Order: sequence, then C-alpha cells, then structure tokens
Amino acid sequence: MNADDFSELRKKTAALPREIRPPRDLWPEIKAGVERLDPKALPSAERPRLLNRHWFPFAAAAAVAVAALVLWPRADRSGPAWAVDAVAGTPRLGARPLTGAGEWRVGQWLETDASSRARFDVGAIGEVRLEPNSRLRLLSAASDNHRLELARGTMSALIWAPPRLFFVETPSATAVDLGCAYTLSVDDAGAGTLHVTSGYVALEHGDRESIIPAGQMCLTRPGAGPGTPFAADAPAALRAALERFDFQAGGATALATVLEHTGENDRVTLWHLLSRAPAAQRGAVFDRLAAFSPPPGAVTRGGILAGDAMMRRAWADELGLVPSGLKLTETFRKK
Amino acid sequence: MIAVTHERIPLLTRDIVAPDDESGLIRRAQARDVGAFERLYRAHVPRVYAVCLRLAADPRRAEELTQTAFIQLWRKLPQFRGGSAFTTWLHRLAVNTVLMDFRSTRRRESRVQGAEDPASLETPPPAAPPGLRLDLEQAIARLPSQARLVFVLHDIEGRTHEEIAGLMDLETGTTKAQLHRARQLLQKALQ
Repeated sequence: MNADDFSELRKKTAALPREIRPPRDLWPEIKAGVERLDPKALPSAERPRLLNRHWFPFAAAAAVAVAALVLWPRADRSGPAWAVDAVAGTPRLGARPLTGAGEWRVGQWLETDASSRARFDVGAIGEVRLEPNSRLRLLSAASDNHRLELARGTMSALIWAPPRLFFVETPSATAVDLGCAYTLSVDDAGAGTLHVTSGYVALEHGDRESIIPAGQMCLTRPGAGPGTPFAADAPAALRAALERFDFQAGGATALATVLEHTGENDRVTLWHLLSRAPAAQRGAVFDRLAAFSPPPGAVTRGGILAGDAMMRRAWADELGLVPSGLKLTETFRKK
Repeated sequence: MIAVTHERIPLLTRDIVAPDDESGLIRRAQARDVGAFERLYRAHVPRVYAVCLRLAADPRRAEELTQTAFIQLWRKLPQFRGGSAFTTWLHRLAVNTVLMDFRSTRRRESRVQGAEDPASLETPPPAAPPGLRLDLEQAIARLPSQARLVFVLHDIEGRTHEEIAGLMDLETGTTKAQLHRARQLLQKALQ
C-alpha cells in the first residue's frame, strides 16, 4: 500500500473540525485551581497532573486545591434534582419512560419523541418546555449555574433571574440568559436557531459573541458559532445574504447585499456588523447605521473604523442593545 | 479613562478587547488577572479540548487534561515572551500535558505489571467515546494508543515526524511505522 492509497483518508482527515467544545464548562474547576494555587510555590512541572486519580499530595496547599478540583464536579452532580412533568405522550428521563412527574438528575438526558412533550422548572428562576423530537441534558442544577445541553430539538425558556444564571449549551454556541424568554432549536447537524421574544440573550462561542434582544433571531453553526442577529420579520433576501456572509464565506459581495436590504428595523444587525465587516466596508456599515440612529457624542466614525470596542459598546447602549444596569457610565455616553 | 457601571458586563465583554488585542489579555493574565485569563480560556478551550479528546480518546479524561493544561498555562504564562504565536505555544503545552499523562500512566502500569515488552504497555483500543459521532472520529478513537497519538499529531495537527519523535521519545522510524499502521487500520475501519 503506498501513500496514494490514503488519499481518501487524507481528505476526510482534513475535513475534521479543529475545534470541539467540551460538553460542559470547565472554567469553574480551572478558576478554583488558579485561585488556590500559588504558582511560585508549586514544585516542578514534571510532577503528575493535578487531576490524576493516582496523584499523592505532597504539599498541603496543593492538596486542598486538588480536592476542590476533583470534588467540584461530583458536588454538581449530586445537586438538587429538578421536577419534570410529561405534558404529552411519554418522554424518556434517563433510561426510563416518564409518565406523569419525575425527578431529573444532573447528567441525565430528557428525550421526547414525535408525540411527546415535557416541562420543568429551572430551579426557582424559570421554566422550560421541551418540544417533540428533542434531546436535552441537565449539566448543572447549582443555584448560580443552571446549565442544560440541547443536543437536538426545540425548547422554550422563560427566565426571571438576573443575567448569567441560566445557560443552554448547543453543538454550535452557548445561549446565555440575560433575563428573557426565548425559543431555541437545534437540528441534527448541530445548527441552531434562536428567537428571543422578551429580554435579551447572548450567544457565545469562543471569542465570538452575539447579543439578541427581543424580536430578533440568530442562527448558529458548528465551528462558526453565532451569526449576525436579524429581526424576526427581516426580509428573506436579507436573511439569505447574512447567512452567506456569516457561514459561507460570502465576503464583500454578501455584505453589500446585506447593506442593500437593511432598514431602520435592522439596527441590531448593523451594529454587529460594525465589528464583523472587513475594514474596507466598515465605513459603509457605519454610515448605514448612523443614518437610522446617530451615534452618541463620544462615538466617532474614525474610532469605529479603527475598531474602538468601547465606542461600539457606547453605541450599543444608545441602541438599547444592553440590558438596564449593564450600561456604560453616563460620563462616557454623554462625553 | 472609561469606566463601566458593572464589573462583569455580559454583553460583548469579549468585544471590548478585540481579538487582535490578545496580547493585552496575555499581559493582564501574566499579571495574575483571572478575568483576563478566563477570556483566554474561553477563546482557546475548543482548540485545546479537541486535541486532548483526540489524543486521549476519552471525553472524561479529555476534560481533566484540558483543565490541567489551562492550570499549567496559568503557571507558565509569565514565561511566555511572545517569541511564538500564543496559540502555537498553548497547543504545544496541551500536547505535552497529554503526553506527560500517557508517560506517567505507562510508568505506573509498568511498575504494577513489571512488564518488559513495550508492546504490552500499549493500552488496548478503547470503545468509541459517545461524544464522537463521526465514523472517522470513532475509528481514530479505537486506534491503539501509540498509533493514535502519532496519527493525530501528524495527520490532524500537522506535526513533523521529527517533532513527534522528540515529543514521544521515539525514533522517527518508529513514528513513521506507527503512522502507516494507523492509516492502514483507519482505511480498513472505514471500508
């Protein structure tokens, strides 16, 4: 067998994604580790890894940190169960059919088929309805981290908590509740659609973030993360051009079509494009947005074209893109 | 100076420091700013987890290795001088974390088993992890450990045989043989 015999394998290998999201947020354990460990006090890096089951503590401080790292996930998994009800048909909770009410434990999947639906309270901060043909896992029921994984299907959430207490992970982005009501769908390929009906939701993936206020929608794609939000009643031509720009390398041509079809109801879309447009087209995006909603005094065309993130933030405040209480100071906005 | 009214602004927090200002985040994290370090974590964890998952072929272990890699990053970040791209540096650190784990596991098993035949120390092909749905991903996960490490590092991560030999403490002839073996096994598995 020579090297050419592997050409098909090489093609398949080259198509593998370079990024895979972990099934849960690993940051809490890492944060615990970095906050407890004094790096200067640590012994050589050649020692066994911190989470190794066979690691023997040889420093008291490190032992405390390791215990926290190892026990934290278990504590999450033994947290309070959520009450879940079958609304129609017979959903599955873990390995068992759910008839009537059941207790949903961390790590368990809740699944509905074509004829079943379910509902549950999100601790004390909200409620969720799970539509047919859906698969949802409870990742954390902690009071400061209500976290689900929607592998496929559709769920509707109504949350009345402060921002950043409720998270839904999908194969292509994490939906972060900022106090809201929304519907989130994931297809078999891992692509998602978010429709916010009240409040705000942030969609995050790596360093890419979209903010979706009420009345807006946003698509997500595996590997690419969240696209540019758009009004739920945006014309089909605008949606199609945005999809080409966000996910199909549509580039300048697609962006030109987007700009052509945007109106005063598309300020959220235009604001996101301020940072996503290629430098050569950023001026056109600025002009389009400024025509519908002039920037606040401290925001200049030059600053936006130079990529000044704080100016973009100030304009977002002006556009109502920011939940109340999370805005920049009046000092900057009125400067 | 611009002030904000909320210490942790969820909206577009990452947008305030543009991607091309990663060097600023690194400097802040080097100064022990945990918030900046979290931003680096969120930006890079999919890449680090991917390499850990493919090398370890075990989602749970990959989570642990990813955590260990980032804790190592926190410790070693003050040593980063920007001589290489941060992504490349972090990637190398993650690979080293996984390989160190393999070596320590092998040493432990060697002590327990008293085995002398290196082939007997190779872990048996694991069951395909449930998180990997693609045929090819499953087939890679089922490769014998040494063949899998070489295949992932060479054909997916783009390392040279010389680099892999150095990382794994092997001869390049061995890494080439393992790569060929891995490709043959994958070819067969995918037919």
